[in-house]
Amino acid sequence: MSLTRRDFLIGSAALAAGTTVTAPFLLPKYRSDQRSKRSRVAILHAQQYSQQLDQMVLAGLRLFPIDLRGKTVVLKPNLVDYIPGNAINTHPLLVLAAAESFRRLGAKSVLVAEGPGHQRDTQLVLSQSGYAQALRDERIRFVDLNRDQLIRTPLRASYTGMRDLWLPRTVLETDFLVSMPKIKTHHWSGVTLSMKNMFGVVPGARYGWPKNILHWKGIQESILDLCSTVPIHFVIADGIVAMEGNGPLNGNARPLGTIVLANDPVAADATCARLMGFEPSRIVHIREGSRFLGNSAPELLEQVGETVNAPTTAFEVVPEFQYLRAR
Amino acid sequence: MRFDCKEIPHYKVPTVTTDPIVLSDLLAELALRQLPCGGWAALASSSQPAIEPTCYSALALDSVPAGDIERTQDFLLRTQNPNGSWPVFPADDQDGGWVTSLAVMALRDVVSAIPARLQGFQWLMNCAGKESNWFWKWKFRTADRHVRFDPDKYGWPWFPDTVSWVVPTAFAVLALSQLPCSCDGLERAAPRIDCGIQMLFDRACPSGGWNAGNGVVYGTALAPHPDDTAIALLALSDRGPDTIVQNGVQYLERVAPTLTAPWSLAWTILALTAHRRPTTSLSSSLVALPGLSIIEDTSTLAVVCLALDHQRALEAFGVTL
Repeated sequence: MSLTRRDFLIGSAALAAGTTVTAPFLLPKYRSDQRSKRSRVAILHAQQYSQQLDQMVLAGLRLFPIDLRGKTVVLKPNLVDYIPGNAINTHPLLVLAAAESFRRLGAKSVLVAEGPGHQRDTQLVLSQSGYAQALRDERIRFVDLNRDQLIRTPLRASYTGMRDLWLPRTVLETDFLVSMPKIKTHHWSGVTLSMKNMFGVVPGARYGWPKNILHWKGIQESILDLCSTVPIHFVIADGIVAMEGNGPLNGNARPLGTIVLANDPVAADATCARLMGFEPSRIVHIREGSRFLGNSAPELLEQVGETVNAPTTAFEVVPEFQYLRAR
Repeated sequence: MRFDCKEIPHYKVPTVTTDPIVLSDLLAELALRQLPCGGWAALASSSQPAIEPTCYSALALDSVPAGDIERTQDFLLRTQNPNGSWPVFPADDQDGGWVTSLAVMALRDVVSAIPARLQGFQWLMNCAGKESNWFWKWKFRTADRHVRFDPDKYGWPWFPDTVSWVVPTAFAVLALSQLPCSCDGLERAAPRIDCGIQMLFDRACPSGGWNAGNGVVYGTALAPHPDDTAIALLALSDRGPDTIVQNGVQYLERVAPTLTAPWSLAWTILALTAHRRPTTSLSSSLVALPGLSIIEDTSTLAVVCLALDHQRALEAFGVTL
């Protein structure tokens, strides 16, 4: 059977069309595999917020082989809004403890940076949440990421279809970025942990309050694009008092008595999810992130400190995310 | 056609302020922060000009000799997008909803800016929250009902292709209310403004006031924010008797004495003045806040100046007392 020129053209066109349709589903949506062979996670038990967190966090950090001498460190807490009595924000005492610990480990500078996503008046949130006084007392500089100088930054993954984002210079230029989430459930994304915490680096002055474009492009997808573009070097998650139910603002306080430290955001979030009684692989950004951003499989995590014990009762979550609960 | 508000005879007459010495110091500081390009950056330490701080600064410095206001106006005219909108900052390629409203208000005194303003008004008329589209309206009515709102009542988004929010809607209502004429399709402005106002009413928090725009989510009433409430109340200054407006004013009056952040306090002063509530003690509190002149955030510094000269500021926002 001979192949005519016409057959060849039709076949080539069909192949091209087929490739165009299937390629987006088959090709990876990330540019590079950022995973290390193994990741280290430390779980520390702390029942309350106190000055003793300084020693505890420093001891926890010494479980990791990190060299911060001469480096700039940015601590990115979860500081969203203030509602009296609600465990919304990373506690300022934990942030102070982290700042003090990184200073002792030789960091050239340590600053705290955040761009609240609900409240335009960052100064008001800082003041009401106790951050303003705490940072002033300890002479720690705060950078409002909602209004920082911006740099157009190409995204290193394509889950949202966006090509770039304007991102704050402070975050892009730091040597060591520490995501410090509050361990919470979230009514749109299931959980909000170290990776979701990166929504705070997206500047409100460019993207509005809330940063609605990230919702429209897909929350899980935006988390993946952001975390591939702005690497998180370390995680210190506040689970001393966590939040369950209708998070991130109006859930109920859930004392967990835990701080999670990790040198890998996927490992940190998978561990936090297990502590919440959730199955990490059911959380889209953790599952997908474990393909290129970090490790979530228990055999790839080197566990130091305390062991992970799933709670006797999983965290409450809105009905749409009941499937996250491990059985 | 009456376009140029310089026709209002008292517009340029200095008004009595609570503390003219403080105000003049703050205005001088604001003028010092003007960049060579004519604009202002978001932060004192930054050299990246942005439209929002430039507009507030232009409004604040409009009546004083300090600063180079003509350079500011040139900067705004230069940075307008070809479609009539303004970007958030010059190198950006995205239309900004709220900054377009602010820019047309900041250029209200400039005769040479009439075509640019008309283009800006046209863009605002054609811009709407995504929920105004039949498909999304249907989705929000049937499948996505966790946030309680009526998609028939739509306002303006921060950016095209997203839904309406309180602040950009309030600024658009204020801007379009300054329309100089009813030509070139702008005769549709009144119903569009009314739709935006209905959206503001719809998105109010059950306890009074406004936040970014979600009053109730998953059946839970969310808390209001002072600045969002104040900006909404400015846009609703002629709707004083309405219960939702009254609830908003009462919320602001309750929270105002506790405010220690200059941005929220300054907007609160402007809104309460617009609703004819006493603000002398609040102005004293604002002046007494430590480090006003070293506020890093330029928009905050400019809005503080506007609050301390609130009669003139309200005129600039098109609010009549």
